[in-house]
Amino acid sequence: MKKKKWAFLLSLVGVLTLTLAGCGFPGLSNSSSNTVRIAAQSTTEQQIVAAIDKQMIEHYTPLKVTIIQNLGSANVSFAALRNGDADISAIRYNGTDLSDILGKTTSHNPTKDNRTVVKTFKNKYHLIYLKSYGFADTYSWMVTQKTAKKYHLNNVSDMKAHAAEMKAGIDQAWRDRRGDGYDGFKQIYGFGFNHLYSMQIGLVYDALASGKMDAVLGYSTDGRISSYNLKMLKDNKHYFPPYEASPVATEAILKKHPELKPVLNKLAGKISVKTMQKLNYQVDNDLEEPDVVAAKFLKTHHYFEGGSN
Amino acid sequence: MAGMNLWQQLITYFMQNGMYVLQQFGRHFLISIYGVLLAAIVGIPLGIFISRYRKLSSTVVGLANVIQTIPSLAMLSILMLGLGLGVNTVIVTVFLYSLLPILKNTYTGMQNVNKDVIDAGKGIGMTSWQRLYYVELPLSMSVIMAGLRNALVLAIGITAIGSFVGAGGLGDIIIRGTNATDGGAIILAGALPTALMAIIADGVLGFLEHRLDPSSKKVKN
Repeated sequence: MKKKKWAFLLSLVGVLTLTLAGCGFPGLSNSSSNTVRIAAQSTTEQQIVAAIDKQMIEHYTPLKVTIIQNLGSANVSFAALRNGDADISAIRYNGTDLSDILGKTTSHNPTKDNRTVVKTFKNKYHLIYLKSYGFADTYSWMVTQKTAKKYHLNNVSDMKAHAAEMKAGIDQAWRDRRGDGYDGFKQIYGFGFNHLYSMQIGLVYDALASGKMDAVLGYSTDGRISSYNLKMLKDNKHYFPPYEASPVATEAILKKHPELKPVLNKLAGKISVKTMQKLNYQVDNDLEEPDVVAAKFLKTHHYFEGGSN
Repeated sequence: MAGMNLWQQLITYFMQNGMYVLQQFGRHFLISIYGVLLAAIVGIPLGIFISRYRKLSSTVVGLANVIQTIPSLAMLSILMLGLGLGVNTVIVTVFLYSLLPILKNTYTGMQNVNKDVIDAGKGIGMTSWQRLYYVELPLSMSVIMAGLRNALVLAIGITAIGSFVGAGGLGDIIIRGTNATDGGAIILAGALPTALMAIIADGVLGFLEHRLDPSSKKVKN
């Protein structure tokens, strides 16, 4: 008898929970049929672009948009798309998708890699890569202007002669990465660093600017590159695949709301690396919320009205 | 914004993002309120029910107790597996946590109504619904309100954690602050309004509770 009661109560709670989960609540723009859900990872860049997407969609269509913030990694946001928890991923980098999602190593031919990713995503996962925003986030070696002058550095290969005495700071994740990690780097460029320090990616810029490091490997779009006036070295052997940034949408949502595609395509090619650095800088340094930065950006550009379709 | 101290940064932050903070404040409050309201809709009738059928009470309160012991982050993650990311998962979590205080307080409130008063009601020919409406509920209202108050304050805290499953709210600001290089001011900008909301909710419901307490009325007369 006692057991039966428990089972009954538990199932009651279960049923209630499921009913609640299916409800739409006024004021929260959730799970109603004309809501679009955008997944954003926890980086500044993702959150700004997600806010831009949101405001664009709300400007051009009557659809409601809710942003699913703070997803931990490219894998988590991919899973959210696949499970139907999200309809659009604000930014996906084709380089990351190639190595992390498809498990392939780069062919060092960006066009070919991009084709592989776009095709596999469409055919295998029914996810559509839309046109790129116009910037590529990629790993990039950077030095201070002073160091660049001292050693005459322009290309990554120029570091070879001084690599033995240089202190290099790198992203923890990069060291063991397959394909475009440190091992591959040593092979392609023919040199390694004697003093290599792994650190969290957010710290490398400050470490470089404060002179604790001589060269660091950072993300090419970070706002601190312009604020510290750092010099990015040219990847002259094309080792690092460009992580072209594009919105990715599920086939289902594009079918359901065909008006989404032209809206997002208005942004194609409109955000350059310089622009992205500037926007990142406003959030990271000027204490502005991604949402506020996005609104200002779109207002100055009049929501790209009359832009390409 | 180097060169500014924490409080200057905080003021700058609020000046630049005031509207955004306000939006998130509203969203945060709505999420908490929806969860608590739903729990009240389920919990109060259930509490009345188990006060009538005492045999059920230990099982029902026991179950609510079990739910309460699960840490909120664990609960969120478990629910997320089934319900996916988004705001509904958080509302359901808040709902489950609010059940116990509301249920238990309703039950206790109903139990503590003086049996003589109920008998008097019976004596003057009240039906059991009339007794519930005119006698038992008014007398236990302040205890039930105390349960709602507990639940709402708890809910505001849980909603802050809800940002981990992408629900939005003030927790978003806190998490962004923890990710930023020098995010002390941003963390405060999210945490202070959250604390303020909890304090205001506690104060308002505490006031209501006091007003509804029958013993406080006697003092006035």
